[in-house]
Amino acid sequence: MNPITLILKELFYRKVSSMIILLTVIIAATVSVAIFTLSKASENETRKIMREQGLNLYIFPKGTNLIDFYSVSNTGAFPEEYVDKLAESRTFDAVRHLTGILQVRYPDWTDPNGSSHQIVLFGYKDEAMQRFLPAQETMGFDVEKGKVHLGSLVARNIREGDPFTIKGSDGTIRSFEIAKRLDEGRGMIDQGVAFNLSDLQEVLGMQGKINKIEALGCVCKDGRIKNARNQVQAIFSDLEVTEISSIADARENQRLMMNKYGAFLIPFIMLSCLLITGLLFYQNITVRNREIGLLKAMGRSTSGILLMIIGKAFILGLIGGIIGFFAGHFVAEYFGKEIFRFTAPDIKPLWNVFFYSIVLFPLLWMLASWIPALMATQIDAAKTLSQE
Amino acid sequence: MIELKNISKEYVKGKEVFTALKDISLKVGKGDFCYVTGPSGAGKSTLLYVIGGLIHPDSGVATYNGRDIYSMNSRDINQYRRKNLGFMFQQFHLMPYLTVAGNISLACNGKSPSEKIEYYLQKCLLSDKRNKYPSELSVGEKQRTAFIRAIISEPEILLADEPTGNLDQSNSDVLMSLVREYNDGGGTVVMVSHNHEFEKYATESIELRQGSMQ
Repeated sequence: MNPITLILKELFYRKVSSMIILLTVIIAATVSVAIFTLSKASENETRKIMREQGLNLYIFPKGTNLIDFYSVSNTGAFPEEYVDKLAESRTFDAVRHLTGILQVRYPDWTDPNGSSHQIVLFGYKDEAMQRFLPAQETMGFDVEKGKVHLGSLVARNIREGDPFTIKGSDGTIRSFEIAKRLDEGRGMIDQGVAFNLSDLQEVLGMQGKINKIEALGCVCKDGRIKNARNQVQAIFSDLEVTEISSIADARENQRLMMNKYGAFLIPFIMLSCLLITGLLFYQNITVRNREIGLLKAMGRSTSGILLMIIGKAFILGLIGGIIGFFAGHFVAEYFGKEIFRFTAPDIKPLWNVFFYSIVLFPLLWMLASWIPALMATQIDAAKTLSQE
Repeated sequence: MIELKNISKEYVKGKEVFTALKDISLKVGKGDFCYVTGPSGAGKSTLLYVIGGLIHPDSGVATYNGRDIYSMNSRDINQYRRKNLGFMFQQFHLMPYLTVAGNISLACNGKSPSEKIEYYLQKCLLSDKRNKYPSELSVGEKQRTAFIRAIISEPEILLADEPTGNLDQSNSDVLMSLVREYNDGGGTVVMVSHNHEFEKYATESIELRQGSMQ
C-alpha cells in the first residue's frame, strides 16, 4: 500500500480532527488573502482618492510668498520648459506626476449679464512623462485646447450651451467652449476656470510661462520631501518645494491603515492556527501510537513515518490554501463593496497570491506538524504494542 | 538462525527496578516452533521484542544468522523486520481505517500480490470479508486477518505475542491450525503464551519466571 493511500484513508477516517485542521488552514488562508486583497484595493482606492484630492507637492519660484500667490493677480513666473527638464532628468525621481500650472487671479471678469467678478484662472500643461521612471496613469487636469472647465461658482453665471468669454491682456475678447461644469466643493477651482496652458498663456500674454508645478511626492512623511527639495534645487536653484501636508497625511494614513491591520492580524491568526494544528497533530499521534508502533514493527523507516504525518499536513495545507484563497477573495470582494467607493468593482483574484497560498500554507502546516511527527518517530513500538 | 546469548533487560519505574530478562540464552533454528510460556510479567513479551529488534537488551547478544541484530544500522534493522519477521499480537492491532485486504496489503512491501492475498483469504475463511473494516469483524476474523498480514510477505520467522489471548476455543483452534500449517511449510515460529494449551505443537518449549528460564 502506498503512503499517499494510507494518508488519505487515515485522513477520511478521522474526519473530525482532519476537518478541524483543514478549518485552521482555511481560516488562516482566508484572513491572509482577504487582508492582502483588501490592502491592495486600499492602495488603489488611495490612488483614486488622491487623484480626487489633487497633488501634494507644489514647486514655486524661490521666495514666493504664498499669501501673494493666492491673493495677488500675478506672482513670479518661470519658463514652462522647467517641467520638461525635470521630467528628463535621470536624478529626479522623488516625485511623480509633474504638472506645470499657470495660476492667476483675474480681478475683473464680466459675466454674460454684465456683472463683474474676481475669479481665478488655471492653465494646465499636459502632465510630463518622466522618461526614466516606469510609466503611470496621469493624474492632472486634462483640458483640451479651445475648451475650459468651469468651477461651480463661475458656472452659475453662464447658461447651459453658452460659451465662456474673457478679455485678454491685449483687449481682445476670447471665447471658449465649456467642456465641463465641475461639482462644487472642490476648493479654489470653485471660483475659477481651468484652461489648457497655452490658451491661458495667450489670454494673459504670458507665452511660455508658468508659476507653479504641482507634483506627487509619494511618501512625504518618511523624509522624501527633503529628497525632493534637494533634487529640485540641484537642477533649478531658483525653485523651492512646498508640501501640502494634509493631503500627504491623508494619503499616508490611508495607505498604512490596511497594512497596519494586516501586520497585526495575519501573524496573530496564522500563529493561532498553527498552534492549534500542532496540538491537533500531537493528539493525532497520541491516538495513533499503536498504529505507528505497528508500522515500526513491520519495518517502516523513520523517514516513512515522518512522511506519513507531514504528508497529511501537506495535503490539508494545500487543500486549505486553495479553499482559503477563494474564500479570502470572496470576503475581500464582499466587504470591499462596503469599504471602497472607487475600486470595489476592480477587486479581482490576485493570482500571484494564489501561487503563494499553495506553496506557503502546505509548508507552514508541515512545519506545524514537524514536532508531533518527530515524536511519532520516537514511539516505543514494543511498549505500545504490548499494551492491553 | 536466531540466537540469544546471555540477554538481560531491566526496566526502571521510579525507584523500582524490574528485571524482565535475566541472562537468557536461546537458539531457534529454521523451521522450529519455539513456545514460550510463563505467568504475566515473566518477561515473555520482552523476549519476543528482543528477537524482533524492538527492545535493546541491557546486556548480551541477539543474532540473526550470525549477525548481531543490535549492531545493525537503522536501515538494516528495518529491513530485517520487513523481510524476515511477521508479528502477531493479542490485540490484533489492525488499522481501523483499512479494510481486511488493506490491512493485509500494508505488509506487502510496496507490492500487493492480489492472488496471494486471495489465496490466504480463502484459506482463512475471510473471502467474503475482504472489504470489511475491523469494526465489522468478529475477534476470530480480526486475528486471522492479523495472521495473514504477518505471513503475507513470507517472512522466515513468525513472532506471536499471545495470539489466542482474546479468542474462544474454536477460534483459537482455527488460528493454531493456520500457525502450524505455516510451521509445517518451513516457517519458524516463536510464540508467547501464558498457558500451556498449545505447547504440544512446539519443537522447543521454554518457561520464564521473573525473567529467568526454568
